[in-house]
Amino acid sequence: MEVLINAIPYLFIAVPIVILIINNLLPASVTDKYGVRGGMILAVTNFAAAAVEFILLAASGKNEVRFSIFWDYTEKISSNNGAYINAAYFRVNLITLFLMACIGIVMFASNLVAEETVTKKRGSYLNAIITLTLGMNGMLIVTDLFSLYVFLEIVGISSFVLISIFKTQKGLEGAFKYLAMSSFATILILFGLSFLFMTNGSLTYESLKSLTIKPNGNGGAFLSYIALAALTAGFAIKAGAAPFHSWLPDAHQSADTSISILLSGIVIKIAGIYGLIVLTDLFSEVYAIRLSLAVIGVFTIMFGALLAMRQKHFKRICAYSSVSQMGYILLGLSAGSKLGLIGALYHIFSHAVFKSTLFANAAALHERLHTLEIDEMGGLGNAMPTTSFSSIVAFLSTAGIPPFSGFWSKLLIVLALWGSGAKVLGGAALIISIFTAAYFLRLQKKVFFGVTNEKWRTVREVGGSILAGEVVLTAFTIIGGVAFPLVLLLLSGIGLM
Amino acid sequence: MENIVLYTVILAPLLGAFTLPIFGRISPKLRDIAALLYVAAALVCAAVYVAFSLPYGFSFGFLADALAVFMAVAATSVAVFIVIYSWGYINGHEHQNEYYFMVVLFIGAMMGLVFSTNLILIYTFWEISALCCWRLIGFYREELTIVRANKAFIVTVLGALIMLVGFVGIYGEYGTFDMMEMKGKTLPLWIVVLILFGILSKSATFPLHSWLPDAGVAPSPVTSLLHAAVLVKIGVYAYARLFVITFDISKAFTVALPVIAAVSALVSAGAAMTAKDIKRVIAYSTISQLAFILLGLSCGTETGFVGGLLYILAHSVAKGGLFLCAGIVEHSLHTKDLDKMGGLWRRFPLTAVAFALCAFSVMGIPPFSGFFAKYLVIEGIIDAGHPIIGAVFIAGAVMTVMYLTRVFALVFLGKESGYHPEAREGSTVMIGSVMALGVIALILGILIFLPGGLVSAVTEVI
Repeated sequence: MEVLINAIPYLFIAVPIVILIINNLLPASVTDKYGVRGGMILAVTNFAAAAVEFILLAASGKNEVRFSIFWDYTEKISSNNGAYINAAYFRVNLITLFLMACIGIVMFASNLVAEETVTKKRGSYLNAIITLTLGMNGMLIVTDLFSLYVFLEIVGISSFVLISIFKTQKGLEGAFKYLAMSSFATILILFGLSFLFMTNGSLTYESLKSLTIKPNGNGGAFLSYIALAALTAGFAIKAGAAPFHSWLPDAHQSADTSISILLSGIVIKIAGIYGLIVLTDLFSEVYAIRLSLAVIGVFTIMFGALLAMRQKHFKRICAYSSVSQMGYILLGLSAGSKLGLIGALYHIFSHAVFKSTLFANAAALHERLHTLEIDEMGGLGNAMPTTSFSSIVAFLSTAGIPPFSGFWSKLLIVLALWGSGAKVLGGAALIISIFTAAYFLRLQKKVFFGVTNEKWRTVREVGGSILAGEVVLTAFTIIGGVAFPLVLLLLSGIGLM
Repeated sequence: MENIVLYTVILAPLLGAFTLPIFGRISPKLRDIAALLYVAAALVCAAVYVAFSLPYGFSFGFLADALAVFMAVAATSVAVFIVIYSWGYINGHEHQNEYYFMVVLFIGAMMGLVFSTNLILIYTFWEISALCCWRLIGFYREELTIVRANKAFIVTVLGALIMLVGFVGIYGEYGTFDMMEMKGKTLPLWIVVLILFGILSKSATFPLHSWLPDAGVAPSPVTSLLHAAVLVKIGVYAYARLFVITFDISKAFTVALPVIAAVSALVSAGAAMTAKDIKRVIAYSTISQLAFILLGLSCGTETGFVGGLLYILAHSVAKGGLFLCAGIVEHSLHTKDLDKMGGLWRRFPLTAVAFALCAFSVMGIPPFSGFFAKYLVIEGIIDAGHPIIGAVFIAGAVMTVMYLTRVFALVFLGKESGYHPEAREGSTVMIGSVMALGVIALILGILIFLPGGLVSAVTEVI
């Protein structure tokens, strides 16, 4: 067991690199044919490795597993002032493993859709997918903020490439907008990191955790506050939080649908939310971070939901809905308690699943109708019952209607807020989710529910892997909701609740 | 043994619903029969509980106490007739698989809700019922019906979300969602107010009532299901379960709620007198009658509570019958406009009789079951020391007589309008269902000791 626990983490780095090498050794004619399969293998191994490691780690009772690649992480290095400091190391813990499992799920769903929608350049597509995965896995295993930043940039660049990979006008435009906003965010992050480095002299999580920032201390505390503000803002932009959300709908709408699934389903959470998880964990005593997350969170929920109500494009509605749901995750983090963190993580899972479902629905509709303008649709529930059913389940989960998984994650977040004393905020967060229900009811009315539009008389249900993706994801949503009491038991069993 | 029965009540319709679309692909007949079987199984099992001695042990958050069993019997007994009626009414329409799926799931949600002892479970089933309601109201898939379905969904879900905030507040106070552990605890005022939003929106009480008459665009058996068997009764049931049986609430509510109910009763009765659509009249009548139920449950006296419970049963049967009768007329005439009806008793003799029987019960004419309920409710509020509110409700009762007489006269009496030469009586299953409901409304009154015994078992618990 011990060997297995220590060995599995290497897979998160090794598997992508091996597939990357194979992909580039093979001739283009082969990779263009089987590129998407490679992505599926990557997704499945990522998920399986994360799930197995999660179970083993939870059973062993340890907090984390440390590992390194080309150096000995147990070694002590002497520093300038003669004291010894620990060598750098990678680590996985339950939180990051959970997120890696989510990466696997979303990546798999994305590749199922890509099997139908990505018809050319599959080799290049796979390359970008692999660097994206490496970047996200890297963000999760590193233990200092600067490495986090480096991998964040890798994730960002892979995303730009993926959005613009087919060089369509819209894709390039969306990628450019993303690039502009993202570079603003990363400048802020780099700026914040340099200030932190000035005051602390190190950016490892270990040393930052022991750093205490007092509001009325010396000049260093002032610098630290500026640093934290810049970092929070940078990660919030990456997460698509209001008022800097405007890049997200453009980028997610203009990308190929399989890539929208990746971006909306997981990238904004790893690139944005995970950074904030690290921040709130390292600086848990700084109230200002949590307060600003709460404020940003509420605004994000409102903005996203209200804007989603006015959109006319299927994917744009889903993208604005992602903005809105990020707000709930921010609120969960702002509670600053274990329950809040678990709620936020579970909402990351729920959102990853139901948003992937909705984008898979978009792919199905696009396959059959070649348009995603909702005004042109109508009554498609008759012709496409499975797509319609899965979209309803995803919509109910988004709106936080039981018994689907989105309800439980939202409830945990609200309970955590309530427990931390933010009762009005918690209540408001619950009641605002009526807007979520409202824009999805509008979507359902225009797309699936209703009299069949004459234009689409001959439309048939989508087949193949998109359908499979919808079914699998819907099953995840339902199981994650109905079996939630078991999840709670498990969590309390491993001492997380 | 008792557990098996309890699980059958809840799970037969709840899980069985999911098999109906599959059965529908094999054979529509099989699906129709299965739908009835699931609902009937729930009724039989709920009725079995009546025979047992009360109350029972519980497990996994489900408990069959007298109140739950009473509600389950009241709901399923009407639901059985609604399913049978649907065989005739819904025949030939599209989406029948979804229809039966949703109807049975709806009943399942109701069963789950009444037997739950956990606030989160109650909320879960509450929202499942909203979902079924949304699909069923939008059954015809026309623009207007879907707008109305969305309205019903938004209003009830908004109410439920506010109620959930209240539940979270309860959790904040007592650290649990389990009602068994919180028996007799006092609730702060603001939590009660939050939960009341949910209850009033679900039970369509003024000022959150307007979605219910609008929901009349649904097929008639669905309206009947919403008004009589399940949906609106969920709200008043939750009131009884939470604020009468489980928690102590401020005495101020024994005045405040009857006043809200009084306004609701008068406003909706007024609307019922002028409405020109047969289903709207009956829908407004439901809002008005729900106010009587709420009055009985909330007035704080035992007489009133007993009356309120009896009212739930009497109203379920009679209002279910009225809607199904209206459905027969509307199904045959293809209009709901009262101005285009008249003199129809010659064409619809049996429907007219059933309509009259049910209407008498709703009006509260002795010896129909509605009379006893109405009498007890009004006596309850007078016992509680508020004769003025009682007087308002008597006025409401008089208005009930007036608008039901009006609608009966406009539809069945007078000269034939001549608009509908081919109109004729509904199919056997439809007529059979409405006649059965009319007769049950009468029998429950003549043999008032039957429901009375059941209700007294409920009040013993308190």
